[in-house]
Amino acid sequence: MNKIDTHCLLCAKLLKDPISWTTLLTKRFQPTICEKCSARFENSQSATALYQYNNAMKEYLHQYKFLQDVALAKVFRQELYNRFKREKATIIPIPMHPLKQKERTFSHMEELLKAANIPYIQLLEKTTTETQSAKNREERMQVAPLFCLKEGAYVEHKEYLLFDDIKTTGTTLQHATEILVNAGAKSVQCFTLING
Amino acid sequence: MIFVGAVFISYLKGAKKMKYRGWILPPALRDFHEGRIWLKEHSPFPKDHIERVIECGYFHTIEGIQKEPHLKCNRCYNQDPREFTMFDCSKCEQSCIYCRHCLHMGRVSSCTELLIWIGPRAIRTRMHPLKWEGQFTALQKQAVNEILASIKAKRSHLIHAVCGAGKTELLFPSIHYALEQGLRVCIATPRTDVVLELFPRLQTAFPSTIIHALYGGAPKQQGYAQLVLATTHQLYRFEQAFDVMIVDEADAFPYTFDETLQRAVKKAKKKDAPIVFVTATPSQKLLHQYRNNSYSFIPKRYHNYPLPVPSFCSLWNYEKCFKRGKIPDKLKQWTEERLVQNEPFLIFFPKVELMKIAASLFQALDASITTVHADDPDRKEKVLKLRNEEVRGLLTTTILERGITIKNVQVAVIGAESAIFNSSALIQIAGRVGRHVEFANGDIVFFHHGITVEMDDARTKILAYNKEGFSQ
Repeated sequence: MNKIDTHCLLCAKLLKDPISWTTLLTKRFQPTICEKCSARFENSQSATALYQYNNAMKEYLHQYKFLQDVALAKVFRQELYNRFKREKATIIPIPMHPLKQKERTFSHMEELLKAANIPYIQLLEKTTTETQSAKNREERMQVAPLFCLKEGAYVEHKEYLLFDDIKTTGTTLQHATEILVNAGAKSVQCFTLING
Repeated sequence: MIFVGAVFISYLKGAKKMKYRGWILPPALRDFHEGRIWLKEHSPFPKDHIERVIECGYFHTIEGIQKEPHLKCNRCYNQDPREFTMFDCSKCEQSCIYCRHCLHMGRVSSCTELLIWIGPRAIRTRMHPLKWEGQFTALQKQAVNEILASIKAKRSHLIHAVCGAGKTELLFPSIHYALEQGLRVCIATPRTDVVLELFPRLQTAFPSTIIHALYGGAPKQQGYAQLVLATTHQLYRFEQAFDVMIVDEADAFPYTFDETLQRAVKKAKKKDAPIVFVTATPSQKLLHQYRNNSYSFIPKRYHNYPLPVPSFCSLWNYEKCFKRGKIPDKLKQWTEERLVQNEPFLIFFPKVELMKIAASLFQALDASITTVHADDPDRKEKVLKLRNEEVRGLLTTTILERGITIKNVQVAVIGAESAIFNSSALIQIAGRVGRHVEFANGDIVFFHHGITVEMDDARTKILAYNKEGFSQ
């Protein structure tokens, strides 16, 4: 995972200068995508998300999650690092159902954090293999609990930050928040990569 | 009667002893998988059928990524270490490696298995009537015989014929021969557009043959195709499948640049199967390899008129001019002439960005003028509109340099000095002009900011073809 990419991970064009003095002397990550590709992503106006959902994001998610291109976890590592480096709350990525994870061969949320060198813990467990994306708004609102506490998980009285890929109706994050608050968390905040 | 009854009973007893599996191999499964190398999880057939077929020993399974002696993707034969990524796999709970080169065809990783069919062969018919009533010119006829002789001798062959010489038709007798011999034939080309253009033509020529057209996003097609039309990319999915391999437009991007694609062509055909290269602009390497043994050359178009020779016209600082919001005078004049004379036209640009800047300026001259580029989803429709005269002209990148035929089209190249316009690209572009018998002449202008060696080379070659074709 730690090799240096000489070509853009999205369009395969040669990167201009993958190793620069800035990346060498400061603690910045090497770029993994070209300027043209990164310009296609639209920054989010929301304080709880990095990007706005658009066509470029759709393609990215398709390649990352559906085509299982794990290498793309690195694409947003600098931005995620900038956002999370001073975070005091404990970060919890939204988990996948174990069967689903086996099918996809990796947890896309955990890989994003791993690529950005951000420490995280896992207290939750997904109880259903159904996906939210196949449902409409009403159906999403009225689902049975999506998560439960992981076996042996201990929720401390402190701040937690939930991290998910995309927020549309917010049902997933709401379910996870409830579980943590009921188990004794002091506060639970949410942050997503994309605002849907 | 007693005797017959006894035989019948003993037959029944025999049947009991035989291990009856109660299951017959679905012919569709065999027809699909023969010759293919396919991800086990991605087979279009039910999982239990696949498992059964494996039990029967009809599939050879191999690992997706080969680690020894060096990393290699067993589907696309990619060996570039940069295109492999290692990660912690939740499925096999080890470090897994996957190939990013052929990712878009479904991910191949260390813990995935590839299936290769080794079971009974699909049934091939030998009835493949050829329905084509065209006439070959003397030059074409000679080439046809040369190709046929090579195919019969299982010898690779290079067909070098100028744009508009009728290359596709040249192949018909050889394809016909091979199909009737019960051989499986593949026509591969680097471009999807060419596949889409060839498919209906071949289907009319071989009306009772099952032909599959394979390209990214192609619909599912039924039956066992003895004739396969595919983009070179799709050949990653075949292994030792074809008895005759034809590579059309053998020099087109990305085939020339991508070594894995060239390996894919070799891998998809049987070891002793001949390759027929078809092109208007062969590389030096190809020429060198084939010129002295199996090489057919046609310097003349099918309609017996010479190739239009490009003229050079200086267009200094055209880029600045466009950016200032003005079409350079000479180009404007050229375009207006086409509009007045009601001739469809193509204008080639070296860069998409420049083309987009220029688009609005041209639309001020005529509102129907639009642009075409590689990622344009409506590319096919726009070309069709130009053909049907709904659109007066198209601005395009090199994507339309080959494979398209439009009656009476006039062509201009902007920035012919750009590196992207090498001599073969320029010859191909010039080859769009004057393809129809009634409009055998046409205008081809290279607008430039300085003449390059490649431009000169293109012009010299076209002049040489004309000289050779009309020397008698």
